Amino acid sequence: MKRLQEVKSNEALDLYYPTMCEIVDAKQLTDLEKWYELKLPGGQDLGHEPGQFVEVSAFGIGEAPISISSSPSKEGSFELCIRQVGTLTKVLKRYEKGDTLGIRGPFGKGYPIEKMYGKDILIVAGGIGLVPLRSLINFVLDNRQEFGRLIILYGAKNPSELLFTDELDVWQRRDDVELHVTVDQGDPSWEGNTGVITTLIPELDLNLNKTIAAITGPPIMYKFVVMSLKSKQLPDSHIYLSLERRMKCGVGKCGHCQINGVYCCQEGPVFNYVDIKPLEEAL
Amino acid sequence: MECYSLKQSDVPALIDHLGAYGEVIAPHRKGDVSYSFEPVKDSEKVVLEYNRTLLPLKKCFLPPTEKLMDFSLKDMSYKPTEVPIKPAVYFGIHSYEMQSILRLDHSMLSGKAESNYFNRRKKSRFIGVSFSPDEYHFSESVGISIEEMEGFDLYLNKVSDDYQLYIISDKGKDLLKGFDKLIQAEPIHVEGREFNKKIRYHYNRLPRVFQYAYHSKVWAEVAERCVGCGSCNLTCPTCFCFDVNDQVEVTAEDGMRRRSWDSCMLSTFAEVAGGENFREHTLNRTRHRLYRKFKYITDEEGLPWCVGCGRCTAFCPADISMVDIINDLIREDEKAQFHKTVRV
Ligand SMILES: Cc1cc2nc3c(=O)[nH]c(=O)nc-3n(C[C@H](O)[C@H](O)[C@H](O)COP(=O)(O)OP(=O)(O)OC[C@H]3O[C@@H](n4cnc5c(N)ncnc54)[C@H](O)[C@@H]3O)c2cc1C
Ligand code: SF4
Ligand code: SF4
Ligand code: FES
Repeated sequence: MKRLQEVKSNEALDLYYPTMCEIVDAKQLTDLEKWYELKLPGGQDLGHEPGQFVEVSAFGIGEAPISISSSPSKEGSFELCIRQVGTLTKVLKRYEKGDTLGIRGPFGKGYPIEKMYGKDILIVAGGIGLVPLRSLINFVLDNRQEFGRLIILYGAKNPSELLFTDELDVWQRRDDVELHVTVDQGDPSWEGNTGVITTLIPELDLNLNKTIAAITGPPIMYKFVVMSLKSKQLPDSHIYLSLERRMKCGVGKCGHCQINGVYCCQEGPVFNYVDIKPLEEAL
Repeated sequence: MECYSLKQSDVPALIDHLGAYGEVIAPHRKGDVSYSFEPVKDSEKVVLEYNRTLLPLKKCFLPPTEKLMDFSLKDMSYKPTEVPIKPAVYFGIHSYEMQSILRLDHSMLSGKAESNYFNRRKKSRFIGVSFSPDEYHFSESVGISIEEMEGFDLYLNKVSDDYQLYIISDKGKDLLKGFDKLIQAEPIHVEGREFNKKIRYHYNRLPRVFQYAYHSKVWAEVAERCVGCGSCNLTCPTCFCFDVNDQVEVTAEDGMRRRSWDSCMLSTFAEVAGGENFREHTLNRTRHRLYRKFKYITDEEGLPWCVGCGRCTAFCPADISMVDIINDLIREDEKAQFHKTVRV
């Protein structure tokens, strides 16, 4: 048990004060999602890992945990993409270039990059799950020779909800990226796949020993994706998932993010499937 | 350990003497049936014989609500709230309450240590007092005897009409410098302060019980009666979960960010965007509350995170008893074991 006497005065931290960041660019991507590029004071790097998150602060409303969407290889600024679902996120819609936002973080554990070098990376992104995975994707693309295949499965409800369409086009054209996009419901102009994201998995030809899967999406998606990957015989330890929980502090204090006894903001949000399998509240 | 006798009539003088170190906080009567830890204004008003306060001593280190910052919406800036390091004496504290503070220390200072808590805690001194267990106390069942002195600087043991004062730490000894109403004494063992409420197993055996209790039908029985008010969390001395909220003044130009105690028994505690609720039913939340006390942290730290103060039971509007739940789980477990043995 940690004792008061073991804590030196300089180890006691002000955990709840945000750093004010300038929005250097912002763009509404879809009806619901807005993208922001932010700069820390003095253009310092955020120093994050793909998969980590920050607490975004808008005074008068509060804070929300938001994934970092840009790759650590991008210097001088970082990016967020926020879906407008409630009080805070709807207010953020009004924030434009030149405004300031408070940021705390980066928090949590991201993807274990060291373990991923040399491997085939299989990205499974459902809806807004592409936001954190884009950080990993761009990291792989910026260090392309360090990784094997890059396979991206991306599913959205309908074509108008597809995020980062410019980047999707670029990825589509690159011959070192295998991109498969699907929508639950197409529209008359949609020529791509329709169906839920799991329908893309059976056709994949995977090198099982070499493939590491990174999954992020709405809570209901995980069980089905994991099931399909398991039926392809992908070992459990090759599967990483990023879990969303309610988070207030991001620093292991407020208790909101617990999955059974595990603090999602500390041990996660990215988990190896082996570690969460025994947790009844995880999936 | 140095032991002195102290006359009951000299207790106010001791409290006044301790005031030289810093503010003294002690139990006071509140209404007819309740008690509360309050700053001492008149040492004669301090009550040393009390069963329990409504709010735990935790409130002095992790306040029910605390301002984290003032902000301005005009220029999007903020001013942090400074938490000063002030000397204070907490007087008349029961052993289980002291143990709850040691557990809170772990919760707030392990991993990243929080400065707000640290500053409030840094110069605190604790003077314990013995108590007579009522129908709700069960701290002995979680390994905390009435005379457990860990954490205290001084300890007062009630012996017939007067007290024996033990010096536990050097800091305690310093507090007494210049106080001349003490007479050296031989420690007397006090008999007959029995606990009425008991968990049937030694607390060492509870992690095993909880390991198999996840799907027990006891949870549904408890959830059926629970009204989900959250009082059990808000009165618990080791619960530390909180919420953070902003408040804007009517001028809409300034405001403050505050944090307040939260309760995992409230239905929205684990809800996220999209309407997903990871502990949707009272059953899930009740189970989570008890696993937090007897399994999750306990597996890591080897101690129950419940200190047996009895508050959650005494103040539950639905008469849900911590000890009864655990004894029910034990009974279930024994039944399961029995069936297993018979089948083999
Ligand atoms: C690790 C992590 C990364 C995330 N990354 C992104 C991202 O990149 N982009 C994005 O748009 N969203 C992301 N989210 C979700 C985002 O945090 C919530 O949508 C946001 O907190 C809702 O705030 P609100 O004030 O707009 O909603 P509210 O008006 O408060 O409520 C709307 C809904 O959001 C839920 N909610 C409220 N507070 C939280 C909270 N602190 N954590 C989770 N849910 C909450 C409520 O229960 C309610 O169902 C992430 C969440 C987590 C945990
Ligand atoms: S105090 Fe009793 S009724 Fe209220 S939430 Fe706790 S167990 Fe349920
Ligand atoms: S769980 Fe109940 S008995 Fe145990 S410390 Fe908390 S309030 Fe006291
Ligand atoms: S978000 Fe507060 S403990 Fe994890």
